[in-house]
Amino acid sequence: MELTTTWYLVLSASMFSIGATGLLVRRNPLVMFMCVELMLNAVNISFVAFGSDLNDVGGQIAVFFVLVVAAVEVVVGLALVVAITRRRADATADDLSVLRG
Amino acid sequence: MSDYLRSYLTVGIFGLVGVALVGVFLGLGRILRPDHPNLAKNEAYESGVEPTGDMWSQANIRYYVFALLFVMFDVEAVFIFPWAARLEAYEVFGLIEMAIFIFILLLGLIYAWRKGVLKWV
Amino acid sequence: MLAALAAEVGDFVRPPIDWHAAAPELTLLAFGVLLTLMDIVWLERGRKWAPALASIGLLATMVPIITLAVDGADRSMFGGAFVVDKYALIMKAVFILAGYIVVLISSNYISEGDYWENEYYGLLLSSILGMILMASARDLITIFIALELLSIPAYMLATWRKRDLKSNEAGLKYYLMGVFASAILLYGMSLLYGASGTTLLVDLNESISASDSPSAIVVMGIIFVIVGFAFKVSAVPFHTWAPDTYEGAPTPVTAFLSVASKAAGFVALMNMLFVGFIGRDDVYEPMIFALAAVSMTVGNLIALRQTNIVRMLAYSGVAQAGYMLAPLAVASDVPDSALAATVSYLVIYAVMNLGAFAVVIAVARKTRSAEIDDYRGLFHYAPGLTVAMTIFLFALAGIPPLGGWWAKFRIMGAVIEANTVSGVVLGVFVAVNSVIALYYYARIGAKMWADEAPDGDLTPVRVPASLKSALVLTVAATIVFGVLPGLVGDVTKVSLLAGVGG
Repeated sequence: MELTTTWYLVLSASMFSIGATGLLVRRNPLVMFMCVELMLNAVNISFVAFGSDLNDVGGQIAVFFVLVVAAVEVVVGLALVVAITRRRADATADDLSVLRG
Repeated sequence: MSDYLRSYLTVGIFGLVGVALVGVFLGLGRILRPDHPNLAKNEAYESGVEPTGDMWSQANIRYYVFALLFVMFDVEAVFIFPWAARLEAYEVFGLIEMAIFIFILLLGLIYAWRKGVLKWV
Repeated sequence: MLAALAAEVGDFVRPPIDWHAAAPELTLLAFGVLLTLMDIVWLERGRKWAPALASIGLLATMVPIITLAVDGADRSMFGGAFVVDKYALIMKAVFILAGYIVVLISSNYISEGDYWENEYYGLLLSSILGMILMASARDLITIFIALELLSIPAYMLATWRKRDLKSNEAGLKYYLMGVFASAILLYGMSLLYGASGTTLLVDLNESISASDSPSAIVVMGIIFVIVGFAFKVSAVPFHTWAPDTYEGAPTPVTAFLSVASKAAGFVALMNMLFVGFIGRDDVYEPMIFALAAVSMTVGNLIALRQTNIVRMLAYSGVAQAGYMLAPLAVASDVPDSALAATVSYLVIYAVMNLGAFAVVIAVARKTRSAEIDDYRGLFHYAPGLTVAMTIFLFALAGIPPLGGWWAKFRIMGAVIEANTVSGVVLGVFVAVNSVIALYYYARIGAKMWADEAPDGDLTPVRVPASLKSALVLTVAATIVFGVLPGLVGDVTKVSLLAGVGG
């Protein structure tokens, strides 16, 4: 059995679905951030796998940008959570229900 | 099956045996041991000191800011490495580009400094 | 690994840079840096200059946009990843002017509350920078970078009232939905990259439309990308964040999100559809059709029973997104008129919606609330605002001779011109929904004109100068676009397909 690109894509697809499911099911913002990271890293794997399959650097360059943007997104998200926990301890996404919707 | 995967097979079997062993012994213990729970037994052991408070204690919030700043600037460095690896090829053009990039990043750091974020409160 | 990469890439060739084409972005970036520098040097003492500097920055950015428009040549850079054509310039101008009006309606709101001011305008400029970059982006990575540049500051702006739990919730919800959407979008992009081996939209289209039927990977990629943007433009069923975020965020930010951010989502979607996917209409058209039909209907029906005007405008925005999506569902049959219809709608929608939010902000200065019941008897103490609000509401409803009428007319024209079953069905949807929408817009009108003011409190609303000028600008534009529709018609006669150069 050879480790072909398909295997990496299967890995990436399952990581992405785990992340997406987690984001929809879990209610702790920190766990939700981790799920987002999981999804973005699945994207990275997929980009790199396609890139090496196509013998094209474009995929790896994409990863650079995804990586940095993921870090920035998480920093902003954590800052939001810190701002919220300063108002009230251990907030979960469900506790925040002042607004209907 | 390739040799490469076969070596993983060994690891897999080893892992399975490990999990099975732990399971068997925990199960055996559960069947054999007497079961009389009471309050004192269920308390967490803290070197003989009576445990107080919630077991979820929060780390001080001021650590976050440093961690957040670190994560951001750390990751931005990913753009500097490819430039550094081919420094000569990019010549003055690359140098100016990178200077602008670092200047904007630096602006962020100075901003944080000026706003007193870097002070240890 | 890097050495191996370098060997593969070969010698570095400096990309030719057309400074004139990049001038709008660079100008705005320079003013953003200037704003930060001012904050670093003067700290709080710089507060009162921040809105002025931001407005000057936005107006200065208009200068290169105008010179590029006068020059008229289509320019492209970085192998076609960055294109400046008529369409890009129109959208850039819309973003800049919308941003300018947002600064006008923000300045009193932000300086009177206990908010960070310099950062507010700095983030606003970054977000607008992302938007004008989006107008020129013709490459998957560039589109992604532009999208994040415009979204990330917006997450923070939505949480700007950080002592208010509602605003916290608004920001966190917007953030979680936003990052979820961008992850889905990225996954779609990675699939498309894998299927075509390129990130450039033109080449992508060539590659994916080569075969008769699309491969599974291409279908998945296109669906994921469209879902990602559907969140951004708040199309049903991906609209759930919009009402909560709009209600909780500071109202000027809500205006910014509902106009500029939504327009940016549409610009990105149009870039993708008209340049990247146009040959794969069998995949995207049914999907856009469903999104458009469901958004109009659900948005309007839920808007009917809202008691808060901001939430009502949020749901009406969802419905308006449905109208704007409608021509995109016939994009391959009549590409030019579909694009022109959506662009004209975006231009007119920006004006009338910003105006409506400006009135909401002005009224809230007295009533401190956004409940529709607090608009009762507005005419008796604020006749000017009442007239303005009536104009905006009727324009949103699409009553001639106001701007919204022409916008809807273009949409109808495009879907009928396509002469396909789906086009005609969408036309019927637009018509029926316009009638439903009329009811809730008119209901507010009736409350303002006919009812008595609550508690008989008739102290007038004091409208500060900057808010007044924003109102005058938007009222004038709404009427002019309605009376002289040729103006928008000529300007928006654009084609994305023609502007695609290597």
